[in-house]
Amino acid sequence: MIDFGFIHLAVATLGVVIGIIFGALPGMTATMAVAIFLPLTYAYDLTTSLYLLLGLYVGGISGGLVPAILINIPGTPSSVTTGFDGHPMAKRGEGVRALRIGITSSLFGGIFSLIVLALFTPILAGWAIKFGAVEKFLIILFAMTVIAALSKGNMTKGIFSGFLGVFISLIGVFNDNQKLRMVPEIFSMDLRDGFQLLPVLIGLFAFSQLLEESELGMKQTIINNNVLEDKQTKKFSFKDFKGQIINMIRSSSIGTFMGILPGVGGSAASLLAYSQCKTWSKHPEKLGTGAIEGLVASESSNNGLTGGALVPLLSLGIPGDSTTAVLIGAFILQGIQVGPLFISQNPVTWNTILFALLLCNLLMFFIMFYPVKYLANIIKIPKARLYPAIILLCIVGAFSTRNGNMVDVVTLIIFGIIGYVFSKIGIPVTTFLIGFILGRDLEKYFIDSLKGSGGDLSIFFTRPIGLVIWGLI
Amino acid sequence: MSDIFKVKIVFSQSHLIMPKIILGILIILGVVIFIQSLMKAKRENRPVMDFKNKKFFEDNYDKVKFYGTIILLLLYVFSMNLLGFILSSIIFLSLFNVLFTGKKDIKSIMKSIVISIIETMVVWFVFGYIFEITLP
Repeated sequence: MIDFGFIHLAVATLGVVIGIIFGALPGMTATMAVAIFLPLTYAYDLTTSLYLLLGLYVGGISGGLVPAILINIPGTPSSVTTGFDGHPMAKRGEGVRALRIGITSSLFGGIFSLIVLALFTPILAGWAIKFGAVEKFLIILFAMTVIAALSKGNMTKGIFSGFLGVFISLIGVFNDNQKLRMVPEIFSMDLRDGFQLLPVLIGLFAFSQLLEESELGMKQTIINNNVLEDKQTKKFSFKDFKGQIINMIRSSSIGTFMGILPGVGGSAASLLAYSQCKTWSKHPEKLGTGAIEGLVASESSNNGLTGGALVPLLSLGIPGDSTTAVLIGAFILQGIQVGPLFISQNPVTWNTILFALLLCNLLMFFIMFYPVKYLANIIKIPKARLYPAIILLCIVGAFSTRNGNMVDVVTLIIFGIIGYVFSKIGIPVTTFLIGFILGRDLEKYFIDSLKGSGGDLSIFFTRPIGLVIWGLI
Repeated sequence: MSDIFKVKIVFSQSHLIMPKIILGILIILGVVIFIQSLMKAKRENRPVMDFKNKKFFEDNYDKVKFYGTIILLLLYVFSMNLLGFILSSIIFLSLFNVLFTGKKDIKSIMKSIVISIIETMVVWFVFGYIFEITLP
């Protein structure tokens, strides 16, 4: 059983198109697109909004290849390596061919990761169902350590930012005994429930980006139109993929696996896939000069991420990257618990997610593959005109969080500035967000475990599954 | 010995356990980060509090646009309570447009105002009417 109708198709198409635009504009990311459109989930039911959000996700990851190939600036972090070989091809007059190869590899990566998602998630969830409060506590702790360890730069800063997120999430009333904590007297009404997830999300991922762009003066990326309009020296054909099958499968697997690991992110996945491609290649010297192999590796790996990142989200309730961290917001807003029981309790939603992901990948392919010559125009959209509209959408989104509360708008601005400052002093924002999302659960499971054991901390070291997870940490 | 590993769970105080633990961890981590940067500074032979060579902002960052954005944002939020959503959105979106494009000729300003009016109306209609989302 799946939910599918005309409205779903329309919404998915809209999502993919907007996602591609966000992906193709350097500085705007898939995460930002999902964060901005998250408030729309209030208006729709969960399945309809999932079509939209997954469309934004797939489109946003795929759109990054356009500027990477045409002007050698990745549109999203995950397409860093696309430009290595894509741009030399475009300079040789093979722009259209490069774009089409990239788009087709993206489709392959997306479908591959979808299959992994469909097969792997139920197994993982079935295993996780046996978890008690102790194991749940430990698995969150484990996820946070992995995220911090793999986050860019300093590991201590990563862990710090994760725990800071947990700390901020604890502000407000504790559900067990209805007592307020860490809230100054004057704000006791405003912050009763702590900070709301949605304005925090939009602030961290959209507003901080706005501040960064305004610091740089909203400069427009200049594109030379001739790249696609010149006579193409080589035409695209599906024969180009001859001999690339192993490369595609390898790169997609790398992308999917990196997606499953919490917090790794797209740039790491495509860099790893690219370097592996170089190792296995028969002509490693050709990579970087416009070889198809490199392009295929980069694009199939970063789309492999999409399905992979959903695996831990739907089986354990732990987001795999920053975009899925935002996506978890959609489930929370609809009051659906994502975790081991998700698939068995919501079989229709689960099937719909798989179908929506398939649909969005196919839509992405058709929307980008045929009108390929017009894709360059996306980069010309003036940022100076786009950002004011984004401000408006963000504010409306934050405001609608609790049906009209100015506190949420102020939260939005505060967390926009926090996100901006964090990225300046090198504290990873994703870790902070994941800490913030999981903080309340972490606390609940911790207290529940202690209640079960009568306050004995050794409970965390005596259960067998718990010990395995400790070993992993 | 086993007493060290025991935590008393008093129902009325259970809301304070987790914040205390997390705060403790944060302080420890903060100290670790400080020591790390101290050691790094020593290795590279430079003063610990090297604020002069460290730049928070990019070189020649756009001061007008950066501070302008923050100030306009705050004013926008306050004005919404006074002027209502539609009016304040049109005014401030125009201001944002003018600020970001950085052009001061009449044509560009008019374009900004028209764009803002259209955008505000579309959002007001789509969100307020079709989706029935409460607007400021």
